[in-house]
Amino acid sequence: MEKQQYERPLIKRLESKIPNKFGAKPNLIPITHIDEVAVKDLISEHGSPLFVISEKKIRSNIRKARKAFETRYPKVQFAWSYKTNYLDAVCRTFHQEGSWAEVVSDFEYDKALHNGVNGSKIIYNGPDKTPESIKKAIQNNSLIHIDHLDEYYTIQETADALGIKAKVAVRINMDTGVYPMWDRFGFNYENGQAWTVLNKIMRSDVMTLVGLHTHIGTFMLSAIAYGVAASKLADLAIGIRTKYDHQIEYIDMGGGFASVNRLKGSYLPGVDTNPTIDDFAEAITTALINADFKPDELPLLILETGRALIDDAASLLGTVISNKRLSDGRRSTILDIGVNLLFTSFWYEHPITPAQPFTQYTEDTVVYGPLCMNIDVLREHITLPLLNKDDHVVIQYVGAYNMTQWMQFITLRPRIVMIDEKRNVNIIREREHLDRILEFEKVPDHLKKFDL
Amino acid sequence: MKAKTKNILIDALTGIIRSYAQVFFSKSYFFAGILLLVSFFDIYAGIAGVLSVIISNAFAVLLGFDKNKVKEGAYGFNSLMVGLGIGIYYQPGFEFYLVVFFISILTLFFTIGLEGVLGKYGLPYLSVPFLFGIWMVIIASKGYSALAISERGIYNLNDMYAIGGLTMVRLYEWFNNLNMPESLRIYFKSLSAIFFQYHMFAGILIAIGLLYYSRLAFLFSIIGFYAAFYFYNLIGADISELTYSYIGFNYILTSIAIGGFFIVPSRQSLLWVIILTPLVAITLSSTAYLFSFFGLSVFSLPFNIIVILFVYVLKFRLRNIDKPALVMVQQYSPEQHAYSYNNYSKRFGKLPVIAMKLPFWGDWKVTQAHDGEHTHKEDWQHAWDFEIADEDGKVYDGSGNNLNDYYCFNKPVNAPADGVVELIEDGIEDNAIGDMNLEKNWGNSVVIKHADELYSQISHLKKDSIKIKFGQEVKEGEIIGSCGNSGRSPVPHIHFQFQSNPSIGSKTIDYPISSYVVKKDKSFSLKTTANPKIDQSISNLATNDLLKKAYHFVPGETVKFEVEESGNKQTQSWKVESDIYNNTYFECEITGSIAWFKQLDNTFYFTHYQGKKNTLLFYFFLSSFKVIHAFYPNMIIKDSYPLSIYPNKSKLFLQDFCIPFFKFLKAEYEMVYESFNNNETKQITLKSAARFGNKKNNSGLDFNILIGEKGVSEFSITSESKAIKAVRIF
Repeated sequence: MEKQQYERPLIKRLESKIPNKFGAKPNLIPITHIDEVAVKDLISEHGSPLFVISEKKIRSNIRKARKAFETRYPKVQFAWSYKTNYLDAVCRTFHQEGSWAEVVSDFEYDKALHNGVNGSKIIYNGPDKTPESIKKAIQNNSLIHIDHLDEYYTIQETADALGIKAKVAVRINMDTGVYPMWDRFGFNYENGQAWTVLNKIMRSDVMTLVGLHTHIGTFMLSAIAYGVAASKLADLAIGIRTKYDHQIEYIDMGGGFASVNRLKGSYLPGVDTNPTIDDFAEAITTALINADFKPDELPLLILETGRALIDDAASLLGTVISNKRLSDGRRSTILDIGVNLLFTSFWYEHPITPAQPFTQYTEDTVVYGPLCMNIDVLREHITLPLLNKDDHVVIQYVGAYNMTQWMQFITLRPRIVMIDEKRNVNIIREREHLDRILEFEKVPDHLKKFDL
Repeated sequence: MKAKTKNILIDALTGIIRSYAQVFFSKSYFFAGILLLVSFFDIYAGIAGVLSVIISNAFAVLLGFDKNKVKEGAYGFNSLMVGLGIGIYYQPGFEFYLVVFFISILTLFFTIGLEGVLGKYGLPYLSVPFLFGIWMVIIASKGYSALAISERGIYNLNDMYAIGGLTMVRLYEWFNNLNMPESLRIYFKSLSAIFFQYHMFAGILIAIGLLYYSRLAFLFSIIGFYAAFYFYNLIGADISELTYSYIGFNYILTSIAIGGFFIVPSRQSLLWVIILTPLVAITLSSTAYLFSFFGLSVFSLPFNIIVILFVYVLKFRLRNIDKPALVMVQQYSPEQHAYSYNNYSKRFGKLPVIAMKLPFWGDWKVTQAHDGEHTHKEDWQHAWDFEIADEDGKVYDGSGNNLNDYYCFNKPVNAPADGVVELIEDGIEDNAIGDMNLEKNWGNSVVIKHADELYSQISHLKKDSIKIKFGQEVKEGEIIGSCGNSGRSPVPHIHFQFQSNPSIGSKTIDYPISSYVVKKDKSFSLKTTANPKIDQSISNLATNDLLKKAYHFVPGETVKFEVEESGNKQTQSWKVESDIYNNTYFECEITGSIAWFKQLDNTFYFTHYQGKKNTLLFYFFLSSFKVIHAFYPNMIIKDSYPLSIYPNKSKLFLQDFCIPFFKFLKAEYEMVYESFNNNETKQITLKSAARFGNKKNNSGLDFNILIGEKGVSEFSITSESKAIKAVRIF
């Protein structure tokens, strides 16, 4: 018989109010394994904290997403959004599944090239494209999405000097009926800016207009907005066809699809309220098919979905450092995971689940990170069973943005492993060492020595 | 000016020489040369023959008839025969040539008149104009006192001496005294009788020419003759009918015409030659008896009657039985007919007139195919059920208790081909999972009419999802509704079938899907004109614009390449042309070689090639024999070339003889969709190979085709002995 686990004693106030619909006992089940690999083993081998990515989940996510679009529309292409997670292993998994690359900086562009993506399958977005990277993109036949007029002029000059025709698309922003309206990127549809730049491109000798792009927001909770956006882009595309007899090759609907995460302040978990990939697919494809495109002139539909494809494919494993009772009587638990590793905890309520069995007793808990900073709070309120020091926890849905926005603040960044389809655990990023940090630092001579 | 005169002269000579070969359904200059020589064995007859052709052709051109037909000899050969015939019968002289002049014009008129009358029924006029011409002269000349009957025919040796002196006479004698069975002797003499000669020398010469022109024509000439010979023996008929004036050539000509010229050479055509022989015999005996009252010879009348009648009979068959098959495009060569027909029927024979696509987008799974285990039985055996499955083969996500859990539920369903909406049934509730509506078992359905007796039916659509109206025209790929769960449908799926009646649930017909891709693991295989099988994951071909553009050639454009072979550079260009029958072809501007191509349902095909076999055009024909406008990595396309392009002439010579019975040579084409170059979207490499011979012992050529944004941009040819590189000049 397994040894009974010690559980600290708990005195809980008896709630005598009528049970409300949010007050039901959380049906917590411990997450002891990820892709059939024991959490315990993962931590003992790779240390804590530890990011764990499931290759199987990534593949199933992208396949499901492709299926959702490809069974509704004849020409679909996904492009992996590098900013969401640019780990080589992750990117290459997506590239193996047929995704192109979507990058927003010189650095990301080079990373895509390094991963072996051909220039012509790199979509170059974003407001900060350096002249050098624009030159590179033109030479590599990449798809450059123009964000502002200054960029247009740079492309014009660079392409002219190179004598190569640049392949460009225009990023369009528009009112889709949602708040906030993202009008800081691209050209506005309603006030005519879009046509200003389109006219310029169509008259340019050194640019070919290949597509139209929009990205209406992030973590969108309404699929209808995408339908509106798709209709407006289709309208522009048909306008260009009529005015210039020019057929654009693709419409890029960007990303922004909500993942299963739960936004702070929402009543119900994301799984229940957020639109699914099928809802987004239905809205976008219906709008495009109902637009006035000739059946054989339907443009290629590009999607730059990031978060919705990776968020639930990664978990963050951690260990309890200590438990503490706060002055107001609330329980608090300190984990070895800080906000420097879990950036998204600022806007999501990540599920935190113990990695070992527990009893039915739970307590409202504040979960803190290990940082010596007041803002290091992972969850303000969470109903957790009674955890002990050295117990393990699994924080779910951490695949998007954390592994690109993390920092070595107070602690260094941990290892990342990926469990492949054959359940092998592969290290895809090593834990950081002091040496690597010192490599970048330089100490002026007069500061090298000191006596204390 | 000088060049123009030269051209006219060349055209005129072509028209004259080809008239000779036309008598034997040939276009061979070599054969024509032999026949010309044979005709001059009687010098005066020879002169009369040439004169007749010249007069006839000149009048045809002056009257404004198709110059190409004149060049082919189509208007000259009947006059030629008349000229030869009367040249033999009458003594030359001014009056004689006057008759030749006018009878040639009359024969031309007969030719044109008969072409009009018989042409309406798609029938050949053969040598009927000759018969009219020569009979009229013979009857009319009975009153022309100035025409004297020739006696030269009796003194053959005199003529020979006049042509070639003593050597010629010896040669003639030697041939005449050759030791051979009597039947063979009669065969050669009968052959020579076609040109109004009655001796071995001419017969053997003609036989050599015939063999050179066509192995099959030669074979059929022997088969036809011996069929008659044995028939006469069997029936106990008077064998002298064959020997007397060697009227047996009727059997020879009938056999060539039916065996391989108007009918594709095959076992069936051979059988018909044997069946028709007694018919020719009966016609011959009866007409000869009848004509003897007028003092006329029947000449080739039996051959004309039987061949024209038989072609007519075959043309008006109601049921479309493919054998014996009539020759559709006349190539003036029985071998070519066999090779083209075999190849064409293999490649395009089963290709349905209307190309049907799968009625959905993306990958779907066949959950019940033809002769399915659940409901696709008896009258409804030719139907499919489609659902969407994930990589684990599951058709739903979640619990599977709700309609929305099913991947296919509410997914768009498209029209499989253009058509008119014939029937719509809507308003039937979608069943809960597991439930079935047996009362309205087809559920919400759409029937589209694509052609007479060709309807497609799609059933179990979602309630109120049908987007089309009764009587509306729909285009292929247009959304007609969404997949649902209505009718006899326990889980969401669509039922798809073809039928010959418009009502819902009619008896199904076996009609294939024109092209689709089967995905297995990570590889794709292309299926054309096939029926999807159970559990296959299938999708429509995704057209690749680059390939589509590269293999889209518009009549009028010129395709130019710089060709580099062993250090030599040369520019070759082809013109894309189309003819009055809407056939499209490339014509090499240097050699005049022609490669026919066509475009069907997202596929580019070359159909046949004529001309020099060392041109870039020939290599392009070999390298791009069949190209699908869709790119799937490592997809393989296989096809077979018509054997007429086989490079080893001596092997082909043997194959020519056997082609009606069996094929032992192979000429295979294979193309591999190599890959997008380094993932480049705007560049594709295709690799193809032409293999000749059998598996163990084959030779061949390998091709590498590079496709860029502007089209086929580079292409290279490698074999054991050569390496050629061609770069497109845009």
